[in-house]
Amino acid sequence: MPPPLLGLLLVLPALVVVLLLFVVPLGASVAGAFVVGDGVGLGNFVKTFALYTPDIVFTVLIVSLSTALIGTFAIAIGGYLTLGENPRAVAILRWLYRWPMFIPFIVVGQVLRTFLAKNGLMNNVLIAAGLITPLDAASFLDWRGIVIAFVWKQTPFVALLVAGAMASVDRGTIEAARNLGASRARILVEILVPQVATTLMVSLVLSFVTMMSVLSVPLMINAQSPTMITADIAFRINAYGDYGVANALGLVSLAISACAAIVYLRHSVRERT
Amino acid sequence: MKSLLAPALASATLLLGFAAAPAGAAELTVITAGDQNMVDYVNQYLAPLFEKQYPGNTVRVVGTGPGDAGSQKIVERFDAQDKAGSATWDTDVAVVHEKFVGPMIKGNYLESYRDRISSGKLVSRANADMALGTKVTGYVMPMFNSQTAIAYNPALVPNPPRSYAEIAQWAKAHPKQFGYNGIKGGASGVSFVMGWIYAFGDGDAAKLMNGPFEEAETKKWDAAFASLRDFTKNATLTPGNAGTLDLLSRGEIAMGPVWVDMFYSWQADGRLPPDFKLVLPAPGMPGQPMHYVIPAKSANKDLAEKFVELATSPKVQAQGIVERFNWYPGIDAKYVQAELPDAVWKKLFTSVTPEDLAAYGKPFPIAPYNSAILEAYERQATN
Repeated sequence: MPPPLLGLLLVLPALVVVLLLFVVPLGASVAGAFVVGDGVGLGNFVKTFALYTPDIVFTVLIVSLSTALIGTFAIAIGGYLTLGENPRAVAILRWLYRWPMFIPFIVVGQVLRTFLAKNGLMNNVLIAAGLITPLDAASFLDWRGIVIAFVWKQTPFVALLVAGAMASVDRGTIEAARNLGASRARILVEILVPQVATTLMVSLVLSFVTMMSVLSVPLMINAQSPTMITADIAFRINAYGDYGVANALGLVSLAISACAAIVYLRHSVRERT
Repeated sequence: MKSLLAPALASATLLLGFAAAPAGAAELTVITAGDQNMVDYVNQYLAPLFEKQYPGNTVRVVGTGPGDAGSQKIVERFDAQDKAGSATWDTDVAVVHEKFVGPMIKGNYLESYRDRISSGKLVSRANADMALGTKVTGYVMPMFNSQTAIAYNPALVPNPPRSYAEIAQWAKAHPKQFGYNGIKGGASGVSFVMGWIYAFGDGDAAKLMNGPFEEAETKKWDAAFASLRDFTKNATLTPGNAGTLDLLSRGEIAMGPVWVDMFYSWQADGRLPPDFKLVLPAPGMPGQPMHYVIPAKSANKDLAEKFVELATSPKVQAQGIVERFNWYPGIDAKYVQAELPDAVWKKLFTSVTPEDLAAYGKPFPIAPYNSAILEAYERQATN
């Protein structure tokens, strides 16, 4: 048997698995978005945009805002782990910040639902501390709840990667800046972040795509209107058995994720040239 | 995990059962849609009772899983046996959601048995004759009725509104104090929306419940949805059936639509204060029954009829359905009252009387109207 054929034979099982379990369902789902009644058409997309445009905009805004906040916090955490001068504080932060990473989204949703409610733990603590009065207490179980859940859950993931990248940055550049009198904030922004930009970008794109696909958090915190696309997809299928519009919504969500990937690719191509 | 396992186990049991058939005439096979509690109900309560009353016979029960999917499996099982031309089927009694009785009758799968059993005369609700647009008289015995109603906190609402119009007024005067879960978080919110259309739609509510479906009818809801839109802006949207009860118990809302059996179960567990009450507003809110049906090709038809007769007798309805599960009885409540301790009766029927239930307990709209209303809600009441 000629070697090329043998090679093909060796990857065949893996290839078949990928084809059957990933490519075929994806293709069926994409094709399904264009099936209207017995024919083919754009009816599902017309309905999708007529009914769910606010939800699509809402999803993009929520996920973008969460991504920005995650990036900010991850840089802050990574920066302190690298540049912090109090060893005890660094050790505590290093021990603490990873915890949320090991908690599933559904549990995050459930925990925050009782934490952020109008009479939930957060407001009770604030009231007991005399910071707000019971009348000022407001429920955070709306878009803010979703953002808080996403940021809380995804920040450690990004921070882990970013902190790792920052730790491997040549200490010489940091020491040089310090010798020249740069403040820690300036070192972080001008020396560290540019050197870990690629890692940051990759982890943020991964977080973006993960957040696009989370159903449990919007379902538990705010399944109202507007809500995230995932909740609408579930509703289309559960309430109407309408796979056409659900597929169309899935395709929209795919397009949004693809945009994030393109931004990332452009960026990395520009860096290399 | 239980809910994942149950359907798998159920189908495995079904297969095994099929292979072992036909068993002796004395083994009665009951298959039931719904949660594990439905299986437990037959296993732990109904079957021992039946076996004691008709010695020598045994009851075997199989669950097909929760929700409409469970009933769908039973329909598919009947379809398959019909197409295979089996002379006798492996099921003697089935418990299904009302939506699935229609297809079963169209396929001629069912026995018309209600007139032959003594408890048949005790049935009074309209949903035992019409199931979402299909005439089912004779073919079904309701196992229980579940119903939605408005739960309220008497400390905040001393005089609860008694109709949808009064609810709308009350909610306007008390911003954010009325809570419901929209249509994406469970059926209690869906039911509230259906009731809103029954109350304020310009069309004929009876037509929505009984059919036939006409496209023109779906254009008559604009004013109702416009007012529902304003109403919703002024209301609190809760996350799910349990979410409404949760917010009620925390005092964040004063009123909201709930499933009656959930309400009482929560109260019994101490998750809701004991003084909370229910009101079923005019012109009515939807609920739905689960029905006992007997396949026409059951091998043990006589025994099956005896089983359903026992299950729908006033005594069993009182002890099993009302006292154990806080469901409303399938047969007319007045026959059940005599069998119940006064305290239990009072608990289930104080705020919502049997008269209220007869007057304001409505069915859901037939399937095409149901979908049309949900979609119109998405288009007009939330966008």
